[in-house]
Amino acid sequence: MREVFLVGLSHHSASIAVREQVALEGEELKAAMGDLRSRQNVQEAMVISTCNRVEVVIVAESAEPARRFFLDRAAGADGHLYEFHGSHAVRHLFRVAASLDSMVLGEQQILGQVKEAYGLASSAGTAGSVISRLCNRAFATAKRVRSETDIGRGASSVSQVAVELVEKIFGNLKGRAILLVGAGKMGALSAKALASLGADRVLVTNRSRARATDLAAQTGGEVRDWAELAKLLVEADVVIVSTGAPHFVITHELAHATMKSRRHRSACYIDLAVPRNVDPRCASLDNVFAYDMDDLQKVVHTTKSARGEEALRGEAIVEAEVMAFFAEREARAAIPVLAALRRRAEDIALAEVQRTLAQLGPKLDDKGRKSVEAMARAIVNKLLHGPTARLKEAASSGDSALPGAAAELFGIENESAAEADRPAGAAAASIVVLSEKR
Amino acid sequence: MSVNILRLAALLYTVGAASYILFFARPIHVRAARVGLWTIGLAFVVHAASIGVACKQFGGAEFFNLRGGFGALAWIGAGAFLLLQRLYPLPSAGAFVLPLVLIAVLPGVFGLGPDAPWSIPQSIRGPSLTVHIATAAGGVALFGFAFGVALMYLLQEREVKGKRFGALFSRLPSLETLDRLNQRLVRSGFVVYSVALLTGALVAKKAWGTSWSWDPQQVTSLVVWLLYGALVQLRHIGVRGRRYAILTLAGFILVMGSMLAMGAVPQVTRHGGNFQ
Repeated sequence: MREVFLVGLSHHSASIAVREQVALEGEELKAAMGDLRSRQNVQEAMVISTCNRVEVVIVAESAEPARRFFLDRAAGADGHLYEFHGSHAVRHLFRVAASLDSMVLGEQQILGQVKEAYGLASSAGTAGSVISRLCNRAFATAKRVRSETDIGRGASSVSQVAVELVEKIFGNLKGRAILLVGAGKMGALSAKALASLGADRVLVTNRSRARATDLAAQTGGEVRDWAELAKLLVEADVVIVSTGAPHFVITHELAHATMKSRRHRSACYIDLAVPRNVDPRCASLDNVFAYDMDDLQKVVHTTKSARGEEALRGEAIVEAEVMAFFAEREARAAIPVLAALRRRAEDIALAEVQRTLAQLGPKLDDKGRKSVEAMARAIVNKLLHGPTARLKEAASSGDSALPGAAAELFGIENESAAEADRPAGAAAASIVVLSEKR
Repeated sequence: MSVNILRLAALLYTVGAASYILFFARPIHVRAARVGLWTIGLAFVVHAASIGVACKQFGGAEFFNLRGGFGALAWIGAGAFLLLQRLYPLPSAGAFVLPLVLIAVLPGVFGLGPDAPWSIPQSIRGPSLTVHIATAAGGVALFGFAFGVALMYLLQEREVKGKRFGALFSRLPSLETLDRLNQRLVRSGFVVYSVALLTGALVAKKAWGTSWSWDPQQVTSLVVWLLYGALVQLRHIGVRGRRYAILTLAGFILVMGSMLAMGAVPQVTRHGGNFQ
């Protein structure tokens, strides 16, 4: 019996040192999927590989080929692997796609990455009907979770918070300047994020000019002299400060004088340094908006706990979708039984019609023959109408006992496998052919 | 007759204001803002009909008391809001401005027309009187708008500065947007109000023989004019943001206070009907 197996490791179970040993990209990833598919008993395969997780989904008889995928690449991966099969594997994949398993809950990238993995598996020819249905349902689930819960709301990183704040103060940054004071890494990140608001200029200043030149290249800014700081503050609307200095770089006096020269046009100071570089008293000045690392991190924290609550609602959606997925699959499983049942009945009808017509011979005219054939078809249809409807209903409500019982009752289980190649409705077609031949 | 039409208009204003408030409270309901816009548009038309019928009924005398004055103010305010939404769409402002419009309409709902049988003396009738009334109401309506926007500014400033980032934070527009809109409203209100003062002087000359007679209404109007004039000038020396918003609030409170005082205290001003 073939099943869906999912084996993987993620930021929950393995350190980056292990993850990077098994992570793959592009052509390598495609080749790995092809390789998996070629193993014995593996019908379908897909590999999701991101910086936070590597997961192998296979449709096979055991999880062994998927485990081998990891162990061949990193012998030490053994203790870090998790393994799911059947509905647990389906649930896990849905949760991953809906970003309920992500390091940053509700982040949007993961869905794109799963889509990419599916695209690669499709083009490599390793994704069959099971993985296709599974992925499409996973994408639909992710979409539902995103639109029906607030899991994607709020700013989930310090630079995102900075962007939101600046947006609420200035609207956009067209015609405005960002000043980057100091060479901290967070500062550069935030400056890049803020540049997305359309700032005209990014100015960079640092005590050591070499580092400033470096940063300017990274952020697309222009280097300015450290000695000019007071002048730069007048010029810039958003100031990001992240120096290593153990004292205030922007003092209350400096900010006060700056605001006077700016004619009190609003200024936003974002202090990413610890210890702080901007005197907290600056915030009390009119039209000065000053934030430190604590303020920003508090917002990130609030977002995270809000997302945690939303995730619970997301889990409920995932649960419903997992059930819907299996209901659909079982409905599909009932179809072979139905087809076999119909074929069996039609075969009998066909044989009986043939016998009757042969016995009657020339006594019956064309019209008479057609009536006999129509009668046989009508009896088959009427007899099967009720059972067909009930089987479909039972299957879609997740009851797999009835299709099994029907198969057993009519003794069609063995035959249905043998006749699987025969196109459906062939028996009905042969009745028509028969009447034409005569 | 005109009162009943006005009551219908008031009902529509209520629905419109409620829709905008709903939109502000739950921004997902974008449709609420659209319903609000159409309802206010309809209310504006119905209100216009009510004013037209009242003019026929009372010959314009209804504008000379508090109820009629507020009614004209509300009508022009609603019109300005509709115009503003076309030029400068900011649906969240509806929740702050339209309740003011509704409040201004309410006194008229309880009976419209002059307090006593009275008609405008022939001596002061003329285009300058019409323009005077229209621009006075228009100027005050724009100041009222500025009041609403300044209130939005102060609320948003409190969120941004106080690091609160709650529901208001995400629903109110950026401080820059509000500050600039406030400035535009104060400026255009000042221009319109200036016209009201000039035409007022012309009417006064015709009525009382002198364009300036230290009438309390004239004095308070001049004070209001000076205040907003100062506000326009102060912008150039860097009064903006919070201080500007507070001054805008103070200006409108002065306007409303003087309007109520003039209307409530009998005989304090000759504006109410003594045009001899």
